[in-house]
Formats: sequence, structure tokens, C-alpha cells
Amino acid sequence: MTWRRERWSADHPLPIGVTKRAQVGELVRAGDIIASGATLAGALRVPGARRLGLSPSDFERELRVRVGSDVATKAVLARVGRRFARSITAPIDGRLLHVTVDGDLYIAPIVDRWTVRSTLDGVVARSDDAVVEIEGEAWCLHAAAAFGPDAIGELTLGVDGPNADLAPSRIDVRLSGRIIVGGARVSAEVITRAHACGVAGLVAGGVPPAGLRVVYGDTVTASGAPSRGDRPTVLCLMGFGSAVLPRAIYDPFAALAGSRAAIHTASARLFVFSTADIGRTETPAPDVAITGEGPAAYAPVRPDADADTGDIEQEEPAQTDEELSPSASDQSPSER
Amino acid sequence: MTVSTGTEARGVGAPVGVGVPVEQTRVALGRPLRVALVHGREEASRLEVVHLAIASGAEIVARVRATDPRSFVEAAQALRDAKPDVVVIHGGAKDERALAELLEALRLGCGAQRPMPRIFGLVDTGVAHALQMRASPFEFERFAAPSEVVESLRDLRRAGDGDVVLRDALIEDGARSLATTNATKALAVDVTERSTSLVLAHPDGRIEAAHLVPLGLGMGADHVVARASLDNVRRWLPWPIDAPALLERVFNRARRPDVPATTEAAVLLEMALAREAIAHALRNAAEAGFDVVAMRSAPSILITGRVASFPKAGQSLLVLVDGLEPIAVSTVFREPDEGRAERIGMVVSVAPRGSAKIRIVRASGRSVARVVPGSFGFAATGADVEVAVNGKGVRGHGRSGTLGVLIDARGRPLVLPERDAERIPAVTRWHAALHAIAEDGTST
Repeated sequence: MTWRRERWSADHPLPIGVTKRAQVGELVRAGDIIASGATLAGALRVPGARRLGLSPSDFERELRVRVGSDVATKAVLARVGRRFARSITAPIDGRLLHVTVDGDLYIAPIVDRWTVRSTLDGVVARSDDAVVEIEGEAWCLHAAAAFGPDAIGELTLGVDGPNADLAPSRIDVRLSGRIIVGGARVSAEVITRAHACGVAGLVAGGVPPAGLRVVYGDTVTASGAPSRGDRPTVLCLMGFGSAVLPRAIYDPFAALAGSRAAIHTASARLFVFSTADIGRTETPAPDVAITGEGPAAYAPVRPDADADTGDIEQEEPAQTDEELSPSASDQSPSER
Repeated sequence: MTVSTGTEARGVGAPVGVGVPVEQTRVALGRPLRVALVHGREEASRLEVVHLAIASGAEIVARVRATDPRSFVEAAQALRDAKPDVVVIHGGAKDERALAELLEALRLGCGAQRPMPRIFGLVDTGVAHALQMRASPFEFERFAAPSEVVESLRDLRRAGDGDVVLRDALIEDGARSLATTNATKALAVDVTERSTSLVLAHPDGRIEAAHLVPLGLGMGADHVVARASLDNVRRWLPWPIDAPALLERVFNRARRPDVPATTEAAVLLEMALAREAIAHALRNAAEAGFDVVAMRSAPSILITGRVASFPKAGQSLLVLVDGLEPIAVSTVFREPDEGRAERIGMVVSVAPRGSAKIRIVRASGRSVARVVPGSFGFAATGADVEVAVNGKGVRGHGRSGTLGVLIDARGRPLVLPERDAERIPAVTRWHAALHAIAEDGTST
């Protein structure tokens, strides 16, 4: 894991029902809406080609409405003939969603709207109904796992040192819309509080998996859980539990604080849009600090002189394989 | 892992003669293959597609039934989110209309996916013709037999590299070889970083193979917890541990899969995960219509992969007995990836209601073991001798292996006490009985 400034690309998968999307070559900034669409409910199948007496291949030529358009009840969708005209009308208000191979139409009622925002400053490299891909230059940190939807906001340091935990008391509504760097660990309480306060996303060395299960459900795994909708966004940089951020990772956060940033959860990357020189572009991976069977993420967090000891709640350190301690007994099985 | 397929001639890299591999074949799990299953309304149709997906070692990312209660849009969205590499379709003539509609959902959901998913149809010619017309723009291939679908899916996992031997195929060969040699049914149990396999081979060469991905001790460890539940993993640890601490260790294990277990605590955690991986694979195999009873009663069982590489043979045996829950007399072998196969023990599973006797006959004489319900331990027979056992509800023969004859009277299904105060001593006792934990307090 290193800070690197390069040209990156990021895919933005689109849900079904896209209405408008950025076109290839278009310039976008992180946070810009690159696609919008409708959330659709159960679709109705409307006979098309057979009703008009056309072959499926001819039917699409007679369509009066483009597939993907919104239609109102009784709107004419297709029509043939002049004197003895035959037509197909929309049975409901909704979206003309799909034309089947047989020349039938699917129309679905619209129940909500959605938007997808860019997570990179750059140019649209690919755009279709399934995905919009953006390419652009940014500082990037590739993390271990990410959870929740993509997030965009101003990068803000929430701790005073790389080995400090982010305390819930440091989160309030003034941090709304920001991406908070949470130091060595963010707990479930911090995640839920940050979400309630409108914080865009959290970045931390480690996140307790038990807390992730509380927030994202029992099916969450170590590979992350990118999702859509109104859920917290968490970027887990090094591992699970608690992980003291190496200086090489943490110091650039201080240099880049205040810059616009984005979390791309599908690829577990943090992009920071700044031309600041953060000192080094290639830093040793934190893995070098790993000992025993687990990553440094296992290493207990001990606030040092740099750490803010005022607001931080001291929590139980994470456990290593080497230091596994039973909850009810301090003895290892072999010691008993 | 490499497999030699011949030996070099004297003097060609083998100064003292034979023994140096002339060519080495790479054995790998292959590339992960995401498969969506679309099947007819009959239960047999569901079993068929699940069966062949499991047999091919593909990851099932979506299942859609002809009578799926989801709406058209929801089905299309589910298929889009699944991002399948292959969609396997199975159904009869009466499912044709519903399957055609699901193909429309696939067109809507995955029409823009790159690369596009391929469609493998295990359907009769008439249905295939009707579906093929509706499958555009996807590539549609019809197969007449499930084995052809399995082979094609495996080809995709090889990603066009003909030199790669899939680990599944190697495990199947191992099971087949064991069955042929012993002229009995043989089961191979393989647990790796991200896969768990159960392969039942018959003496006539037929096999039933279940390869579950991702489900293992490294990258698949978190999936074991997600599927089998954390409490089920935790119950096998012979000391109390709180759920968050255990979860943390499992998640970090999934992040760093290649780090070998170096402490006893880490080995015991791997053992716990392996038991649940095997048990879960068995449940999935049962759901897919595999003959799980035959697997549990196989007279010969081969353990491979990470489970076979535990420091002590007793640890491998304990994982097998707890995870598989054999129901007959089985001779157990283990073969680590980088080691030789060894016969480690014989398992005699009995379920007496009261006290029972088991006669053990060997060349040096015969003895009688008195078995009480719940007992678990080795009978005194000597190492690696020919043994025949006979008792109430149990009869069989084999070789005792290096560890001896393990009599398991804990009953089936194996039920662990709920309370820690009762469960931990019981689990510790079972570990001690198989010398699976250090008795002198030193780390393994």
C-alpha cells in the first residue's frame, strides 16, 4: 500500500433504468452526476410486434418512443397503417424499459430516482447502460477493503496522530459531507454516529469486523461490501481490528487535508485531488511492519506522545494470533 | 504444487539416474469462475444445475428459478449485480416460456457487460432452439450431458492454458485411485486456502465431486464464518474467546492467506474453520443431491490440502471426524501437498444406546473394547496393523494406521454442549484424546 500520483480509472456500475449518462470524452469532476435514472417496480409486458402484425425486426422501426424514455398512460408507443391504423399505447405511467426478441415491450412504473456521481476528476472513457468509466489523475491509496456506497468530500483529519482512534465525541454535524481520517481504528459507534451526522466517509487503518457486522449485516466479508443507497462508507486501509498507520501513510494525510477526495468502494481506493507534493510518491508498504501471522493491524494501539489522549476513548487493543487472549480466561489451552 | 509426468534420462540433469521430473505440470485452482444458474420449476432441475456448478468448482453468484417470485426488473438487476461469466440454463419443455422470459431479463441486465456472459444450455434440442433465438447477443451453447457442461466450465477456469491441471481434477484422480486400489468406495476431503472439496469415488471409476468456492482456511475463511456462522466456528475452540476477537482473526486471515499457522492457537483456529468448511460443504452437497450417506460411510478416506498439513496427524484426523461425522468403519489417509501419503488411522463410528462391546481382531490376537455412549478415543491395537471390528451396528476392516483405531461413540449428528462450562472441557478432552494439543504446554 503506497501513496501514488498517477492516472487512474474507476468504473461506476449503473443500476437498471438509466435515463441520462455522461458521454465518452466528457470532462467531469469528482462529485459530478455522471448518470441518473429511475428505480423501477414490477414491469408489465405489452404485446408489440404481433399486435401490429409486424416481424420483430420491423417493429423497432415503428416505435414512436425511444427505449429508456418515460411514458404516460395511453401514450402511443408504436403505430402502423393510415386509414385502418393499429397502435400500441402505454397501459401505465412509467418507463419503456426493454424490447424483447419477440417484439414485446416491457413498461415499468417509476418508484424513485437515482444518481451516480463520479469519484475521479477526469474524462469519461467508457459509457454504456451498465457502467461509466472515468479516467483521471489523482493521489491514490489502495486499501484493504471498503464498505458502503462511493463517497466524495473534503479530506479532514479526525485524529491527532497515526496511532490514535477516532472517538465518537469528535464527530458532529460540522463534519457533514467530509471524508474523515480516523487513525488506527473506527468503531461501530463512530461509523453510525458519523453517518447520522452526514459524514461522507471514514478512512481508518483498521475497522473491527464485529462493528462492520453490526452496520452492514452478518454476511459482510473481508473482501468488502460495496453497495448503493443510504449507508455509511468506510475505507479500511490495512486490516481488521486496529492498525497503527505507518508515518509514510499518515503524514500525506496531513499534507492533503482540506483537499477534495473520493472513496471508490468497488475497488477500495481513496482518491485525493491535489497537486500538493506530499514528499514521497513511493513509500514502503506497511506490510513490512507485520510480524507473526497477522498484519500490523493486529498490533495493539498504544497512544504515544503524539496522540490525542484527551478525547480518545481507550478501547481494548486488538489481538494477535500470538497474543490471543481468551475472554473469560487468560490462560491458553496449553497453559491450563 | 507440481506433478512430475516422467523422469529425465541419466545424465540429463539427473547425474545419478532417474528421479528428476522431465516436465512439471502446474496444479492450480484455476481462475475464479462466476456462474449464474437459471433453472426450471421442478426441484430436479434446480438440483441438476447446482450439482454441475458445484462439480465444476465454479462460484454460484446468482440463482433464478422459472417461477421466481422476483419481478422482471429485480431479476435483471440481480443478474447484473452478479456479473456472471457463464449462465447455466436447465429446464424442460414446459419451462420454455418462463426461461425465455428470464433470458430477456438477462439481456436487460447483462447486455452491456464486458466481456458478455456465455450461456450454457443443458436442455433438449427443441427448447435449445427456442432459447437460442432469444439469447442474442449472448453466445449460446447447448450440451447434451451434464459432464460436458462440467468439462466446459473447467476449460474456462483453465483460461486456455492447457498446461494447468486443476486441483479438483487431481483430487478426483486421487480418490479414484484409492477406490480402485482398495476396491471400495473412497472419499477425498480437500481443504485449501479458498476451496473445499468432497470427492466420492466408486471402485468402477465413477465419481461424485463437490468443489465449493470460496470456502477455505485462508481467502475463504471469512466465507466459512459468513455461511456457517461465527458461533459454529467458535464452538470448536477449546478455550473461551469472545466473538469480536475471533472475527478479527478470521478476517485478517482472509487478508493474508499464505501465512502459515505457527502457533498452537492458530492451528486450533484453522482446525475449527476446517471442520465447519467440511460440514458446510457436506450440507451444500446434500442440498445438491449428492449421496452424502455414501460419503460418510466410505471405507477409505483421503485427507489432502491444508488439513493434511497440520503438524500432527491427530489434528487432521480430529478435523475429519468432527467435520465429516463418518458413520461406518473407515481407514483414513492424509497426503500433504508437499509430502507423502500416510495411513493415519481407522475410525470406527458407533452409536450405542447403552454400553456396547466391539470385538477387534488382528493377527496378534483379538480383544474386546467396551464402548459407552459419548466415549471417544483410541483402542489399544498397535500401529498400522490389519484390523477387523465387529459389534452392535458396526462391522468392517482395514488397517489401523500410525495412530490406531479411533472409536467414536459421540453419536450422530454430533451435538456439542451449549454452555461453555460443559462444551470447553468436552472439546479439550477430544483434542487430548487425539493428541491434537500440546500436552507439555509447548507450542506445536
